[in-house]
Amino acid sequence: MSNVCEETIFNSIFKDNSKTVFNYIYYKFGNEERANDAVQEAFVKLWENCTKVSPEKAKAYLYTVANNMYLNVIKADKVRLKYADKHSNSITQESPEYVLEEKQFQKKLDDALNALPENQRTTFLLNRIDGKKYTEIAEMEGVSVKAIEKRMHLALKTLREKIDGI
Amino acid sequence: MQENYLAKWLNNELSEEELAEFKQSAEYASYQKILDASQKLEAPEFDVDQAWATFKAEKMAQEVKVVQLNPFRQFLRVAAVIAVLLTGAYFYLNSAEENFSTQFAERTQLALPDNSEVFLNAASKVSFNEKKWEENREVKLDGEAFFKVAKGKKFTVITESGEVAVLGTEFNVENRNGFFEVTCYEGLVSVAFQGKEHQLPAGDSFVAIDGAILTTEAVAAIQPSWMENESSFKSIPLKYVLAEVERQFDVTISTENVDTEQLFTGTFNNTDLHLALESISTPSQIRYKLEADKVLFYAADTP
Repeated sequence: MSNVCEETIFNSIFKDNSKTVFNYIYYKFGNEERANDAVQEAFVKLWENCTKVSPEKAKAYLYTVANNMYLNVIKADKVRLKYADKHSNSITQESPEYVLEEKQFQKKLDDALNALPENQRTTFLLNRIDGKKYTEIAEMEGVSVKAIEKRMHLALKTLREKIDGI
Repeated sequence: MQENYLAKWLNNELSEEELAEFKQSAEYASYQKILDASQKLEAPEFDVDQAWATFKAEKMAQEVKVVQLNPFRQFLRVAAVIAVLLTGAYFYLNSAEENFSTQFAERTQLALPDNSEVFLNAASKVSFNEKKWEENREVKLDGEAFFKVAKGKKFTVITESGEVAVLGTEFNVENRNGFFEVTCYEGLVSVAFQGKEHQLPAGDSFVAIDGAILTTEAVAAIQPSWMENESSFKSIPLKYVLAEVERQFDVTISTENVDTEQLFTGTFNNTDLHLALESISTPSQIRYKLEADKVLFYAADTP
């Protein structure tokens, strides 16, 4: 039987999940320090309980531990996300108007994202940035897929209303 | 439009009609713009290798403190329990000893697995392992017993004082509180006492009191006298004689001004207490009083 206590298995779980645990907590609280601490805390707990947690359950365990760490945190910091400059190597020159417009839109999106309820923002960003499927997010959050679809729908709806100034 | 259609749209789960309808809507352009912009979003830097290094350092420190982290210890613990259970079961199954004992004023007779006979005198105990009898004819004895051993492999009687080994014979072994006596009635008996072997041909006795070997004298009988309800003694300290009376009649004996180290030679009857007490007190020139199950021996000249 494969065991989380085995160094190679544990290492691969770490490599596959530490970044997502970090992002998960960052999307919730916008605090890199907390996110880093959550990664350490979650994996230390997993190691301590490696005999009790099967490899299949390890993922869900990590997010539960990370989440529990900040159950009492009421106020989240501002989530600061970067925008990849995907046009830097492109030959097409963009008009200054276009660049400006894009920057303004990104600013609006940032504000709208920060205004979202924490669970909607987390779901939206895990899907958009980390490419997590609804089923995976549902597993992390310990809720149904339907609940995640609801969060996603509301996130998009709220973002648009905010950006369009409704 | 179905429930949560925006989530379905992101997941390409809208039907063609729904998608067409959605694209007609005024909000579609905004949603598409949000989608495009979010495509470029990036989370803050996270260095997996750095995090792993931090984790390993933390883990090391933790492991020094929390020793039970090592899963191998868990395994050892389980293994130890299993080992104890198995060992316990092994010894239980292999040492399932048969025990026979007699109380005061009681005797019994038993047959060993090879039909050797054991006659157990009062307040005595024998035990042997029935499962291992085939390979090892061994009997543990505490007290006194007469053995009629069937012919066969070595037969050993183990007592605290010494071991008696025979091949097929009749002999008596008594071992009580420093008194050790072996009498051979038939065949040849080997007595291992204090690391030395003593060969006893038929008719010989081996007596040791408190570790000192007494000179042995030939016996004429064909079986111990107690088998015929008599207890015989030849130059045996009185205290052992009185102890035998206690065992045979289940009485408590006390003495007053009596030298219990004096040697006694004689026989007493094991069925009649008065007769037995007379047999002991007369030659020893002491008196006795009997009250219920208590006997007091006292010097003849005290009132």
